[in-house]
Amino acid sequence: MGRTAKDSLVKGIIYLATGITLSVLLSIVGFIFVKGISLVNWDFLTRDYNEKVVYAFMESGDVPLSIDEENLNNKQPYDQRYETLLEGPIYVENIGAAISKVSYKNHSTEREQIVISYIEKDSPLNGAIDSTGKAIIIGTDYILQSINGTDFSDMTLEEVSKTISAESGELKIKVVQPGGGIKSNIITTLYMVLLSLIVALPLGIFGAIYLTEYAKPGRLVNAIRFAAECLAGIPSIIFGLFGMAFFVVAMNLQISLISGSLTVAIILLPVIIRSTEEALKTVPMAFREGSLALGATKLQTIFKVVLPCAVPGIATAVLLSIGRVVGESAALLLTAGTVAQIPGTLFSPGSTLTVQAYYVAKEEGNIELACAIGIVIIVIVIVLNILSRITSDKLDVFNKK
Amino acid sequence: MDTNIKFNTKNLDLFYGDFQALKSINMEIREKEVTAFIGPSGCGKSTFLRCLNRMNDLIDSVKINGEILFDGKDINGPIDVINLRTRVGMVFQKPNPFPMSIYENIAYGPKCQGMKDKNQLDALVKESLTKAALWDEVKDRLNKSALGLSGGQQQRLCIARTIAMNPEVILMDEPTSALDPIATAKIEDLMSSLKKDYTIIIVTHSMQQAGRISDKTAFFLMGEVIEFNETPIIFTNPHDKRTEDYITGRFG
Ligand SMILES: Nc1ncnc2c1ncn2[C@@H]1O[C@H](COP(=O)(O)OP(=O)(O)O)[C@@H](O)[C@H]1O
Ligand SMILES: [Mg+2]
Repeated sequence: MGRTAKDSLVKGIIYLATGITLSVLLSIVGFIFVKGISLVNWDFLTRDYNEKVVYAFMESGDVPLSIDEENLNNKQPYDQRYETLLEGPIYVENIGAAISKVSYKNHSTEREQIVISYIEKDSPLNGAIDSTGKAIIIGTDYILQSINGTDFSDMTLEEVSKTISAESGELKIKVVQPGGGIKSNIITTLYMVLLSLIVALPLGIFGAIYLTEYAKPGRLVNAIRFAAECLAGIPSIIFGLFGMAFFVVAMNLQISLISGSLTVAIILLPVIIRSTEEALKTVPMAFREGSLALGATKLQTIFKVVLPCAVPGIATAVLLSIGRVVGESAALLLTAGTVAQIPGTLFSPGSTLTVQAYYVAKEEGNIELACAIGIVIIVIVIVLNILSRITSDKLDVFNKK
Repeated sequence: MDTNIKFNTKNLDLFYGDFQALKSINMEIREKEVTAFIGPSGCGKSTFLRCLNRMNDLIDSVKINGEILFDGKDINGPIDVINLRTRVGMVFQKPNPFPMSIYENIAYGPKCQGMKDKNQLDALVKESLTKAALWDEVKDRLNKSALGLSGGQQQRLCIARTIAMNPEVILMDEPTSALDPIATAKIEDLMSSLKKDYTIIIVTHSMQQAGRISDKTAFFLMGEVIEFNETPIIFTNPHDKRTEDYITGRFG
């Protein structure tokens, strides 16, 4: 084979490899988006995963329908994700809202429910309060279950509308906020990122300072470095098992936010130590000498001169760490649990987005939902990337002129 | 004892591991004089200079024998190194301003010593920059990064930074070797104006520079001080053949 032929063959292979890699990446992201995007909306992001029952109190009113009949019918009273319209809508004047009957699918169960499909601007529903007197927001697609003690379970839509119309004065309505949202997972993920960084960042930075600025090169330093490198290569399930045995059981912290974040903090340490060390090593010796020659102590030199120079590198470490926490599933599954709720305390369980995606895909077989969560994860990672790049540019002492 | 002697080294040996970089150096450096060190590269000038404010502490392999007396006290004895370095400042070969604002560069040393008062710092920054002949050039950009200055300005900033500590001695290790002739001339002017207030010890690669600015000159060769004398004598009537060879360019 001639040289040019060989050259173009190699070139072809390189292009092909690049092309395959790129298209695989794009098709994965594309697949996730196509599968999940229809589920992603504001409600999905802001609602709890589990439905929530609330008693709403209000004064009955007399609000005429301000839009025409056809328009009312066009108001999508249901969310096509899990509901099919059966009857309605019917407008009820004393609550200033239209109701419909839908087949309501929550996770794997399916049942018939009365839902609110349209709310007038002056509707008494908009002034509803709960039993503690706090204002509550009732939206379309909330489920209606009873009014002043009369349960709607076995009624037709017609009967329900008559029952409601018959009531006057003080109304007590039992509503159910539909679930299916991932608010708690988003919040748990943010907690997890924050907590694990609070633990791992100072430890990692001080460890790196020790290794680069204090430790005399030799056996000990090499041993520590070797250990850190090994830790970085260990699959996270091992850390999960350790976290489960140590934090959850031995220290009796339970399956909780704190167990999870401590476990993840251990996973992050090697990453943070390594990148901080690299960053510290690139700080010119001349800065240290200049500072010491001015009578600064070693500590002053490190904190006032060396560390600020290393900030961009440390920001990279933070970025990598955030990616690691957001992406972690195995270790958190074992230490923080799969409960889709906002952890009330450090000792409550909670599931991050990734764990939730795993859980709904594996336990509920809901690939669409998992993909929708995947989209949110991808977006969060991209946003964090951009943010940390901006901050690291802002903090880069060498960039300012 | 002569009170005008700032530094007095006695049989100073220095080893980098097994390699002896300084051999039995005996030198008296007098107050408010400019002393220049000349000699071929690798002969130990920087090493000796760095002994005087204990910068060699940073290098693990260094071992020192003999005495270095500073105002009569051995600086390798139980002294406060921080205090020594505030009294013996140093300017390096390559300008090394910190990646901070011009103001912060000057205020850094005093702040490390605990000076907090804003007015006091402001005044000190102005005074130091003025003494270093830099004030007029930077007074409108004190809060800009020092890295935006030219090489010559950066080196004068480093000198100003050292002056801000109000040291007794300023050590300079080839301070103009990275600068162009115009910037070099400015630094040389600066040194002659500083010499009435400070004891200056300068390593220089240029014999003309040594001749222009120094009162005394020491010629180093292979870790030894071959000759140490009044600068005019070194350059016009050296006693040692090797010194003569070096300054006439016949060396090596
Ligand atoms: N950190 C060090 N470790 C080992 N040897 C060194 C070190 N610094 C300098 N030396 C050696 O010591 C000798 C003197 O160096 P130096 O004082 O820098 O010379 P000069 O400043 O006169 O050019 C040289 O041979 C150099 O190789
Ligand atoms: Mg040198």
